[in-house]
Amino acid sequence: MDAALKRRLEARFGEGLQGPVRQRHDETEIRIAPAQVPDVLRTLHDEADFHFQLLADLAGVDTGTAMQVVYHLWSTTSSDWLRVIADGLPREDPRVPSITFLWRGAEWMEREAYDMFGIIFEGNRDLRRIYMPPDYTSFPLRKDFYLPDDAARSPGGGVRHMEQPEAPLAPGKTLVRRTRA
Amino acid sequence: MTTHASMDDPRVTLDEQLGSFEPIPPYPPRTEREQEFYTVADGEMLVNIGPHHPSTHGVLRVVMKLDGERVVDIDPVLGYLHRGVEKLCENADFHHTISYMDPLEYVSSLFCEWPAVMAYEKLLDIKVPRRAEYIRVLTGELNRISSHLLAMGFHALDLGGITPILYSFIERDEMVEMLASITGQRMLFNYFRIGGVNGDLNHEFMSRLGDWMSRATAQVEANQGLLNENEVFVRRNRGVGTIDAQTALKMCWTGPNLRATGVPFDIRRAHPYSVYPELDFDIPTRSEGDSLARYLLRIDEIKQSLRIIDQCLHQMPDGPVMARVPRLMRPRPGRAFATVEAPRGQYSIYAVSDGTDQPFRFRIHDPSFLHLQSFTLLMPGQLLADWMTINASLDPIMGGIDK
Repeated sequence: MDAALKRRLEARFGEGLQGPVRQRHDETEIRIAPAQVPDVLRTLHDEADFHFQLLADLAGVDTGTAMQVVYHLWSTTSSDWLRVIADGLPREDPRVPSITFLWRGAEWMEREAYDMFGIIFEGNRDLRRIYMPPDYTSFPLRKDFYLPDDAARSPGGGVRHMEQPEAPLAPGKTLVRRTRA
Repeated sequence: MTTHASMDDPRVTLDEQLGSFEPIPPYPPRTEREQEFYTVADGEMLVNIGPHHPSTHGVLRVVMKLDGERVVDIDPVLGYLHRGVEKLCENADFHHTISYMDPLEYVSSLFCEWPAVMAYEKLLDIKVPRRAEYIRVLTGELNRISSHLLAMGFHALDLGGITPILYSFIERDEMVEMLASITGQRMLFNYFRIGGVNGDLNHEFMSRLGDWMSRATAQVEANQGLLNENEVFVRRNRGVGTIDAQTALKMCWTGPNLRATGVPFDIRRAHPYSVYPELDFDIPTRSEGDSLARYLLRIDEIKQSLRIIDQCLHQMPDGPVMARVPRLMRPRPGRAFATVEAPRGQYSIYAVSDGTDQPFRFRIHDPSFLHLQSFTLLMPGQLLADWMTINASLDPIMGGIDK
């Protein structure tokens, strides 16, 4: 764990962070609001005492109650992986600014997150499906998308495994099986 | 044209034919980029390569916009091998997910299992026995050599040379048989376990390895002589698909392809894991950033891997190869990110646990995905035939890209 990185992050972002800087093993984690993503990542990328030049991963996460976009960054200035979680995207209309202006390579990773979760990356000029066919209407990695053998546990009762937003829910049942990460 | 109901959603009616692979999609452009790409200017034409082509290293379709023999633009179309491994893993228990990892990058399976078990070990705070770590490094480096040999052989095959792949396969077969003697499988090993490896090294493995190590360096030298001084091969590769270090970093490149542009970034040194800090090896780099540099860099890496294997054999301690791990595991809620240096670059897993026996989120990051993306930068201005060279030197594996 890199305690110096934690201090630097707290000193630089302070109020902007949602919750404390968390550290475990060789990972440091901060949470920010989706609107702050371009500013925070640009600061982390550009400023000399951060210099997080390598985008190691970009992942979408559906926690059941909200969407997250998770960025993993690597730098020569720290021995930790830095995880930036853009938290609290509404599940109905998840939107977050694109970071393709910093890393052009993020374009396809954002396409993948859009394909799997329906997260809209504003500013990505090629936001179309990448794995699923173009006529596909669901977002497979969302928590309310059930696999066939999982369907018996699904709210629809196990006939179709696709999303059925219109289907009425049985009383006492929720659309999401597991809710919290 | 007839209409039909969408396979996905019967409420949606489509009017394109099923399974048609016209280069121009039968629906209006969805994005700015698609609009730009599928607008064909005078003298240009769109050509499909794929969905299956001998040099695509898997099932891939690319649409090329050509002006004569020059490539103007390129649009890769993925998803032909998509199996939804992330979703499957989120519906399987922790031990079960490891076997789903093997068929991703099917020529370097151990490197797909490795970050998964590392991530779980982080979630569970398990300490892996040192002997197991050495076995992981040893088998991993063998797998890296076999993967690089295959990349070199197919590179030549894509350019029309049949001989090098045969020699590559002689060596690769040795390694595959070695690994089969301890794992029971030739390709999809399913060998790493949470907290160690499935079994200790056995006599057959050690005798085969000792036998092969005594002639490995000489064999690699002999094999590279087939191509390194081959004028046709060198001329077709030099200066083709050139990329500079800054652009490569912006495209999130890692692995040999990034090191061929001069950036000495290797996870084994940049962010050490396992027992790599105890081992002595160099990180070869080259500055040209073209196809030839990427090819030559892989040969340098094979030599370093041989060094690592040699040290592993000398330094490997005795002891158990598995930690004490519960059969049914429910890690406390938390998140873990684990990364290894796979033959193609940084292979990483982001695993989220919610306290049940299944991962809540299981994200697979594949380096080839980002290398394939860069074709839109590398191909414009090149000849159509250079596609073979560039594709082979970037060495993407569609099984990993499509997940």
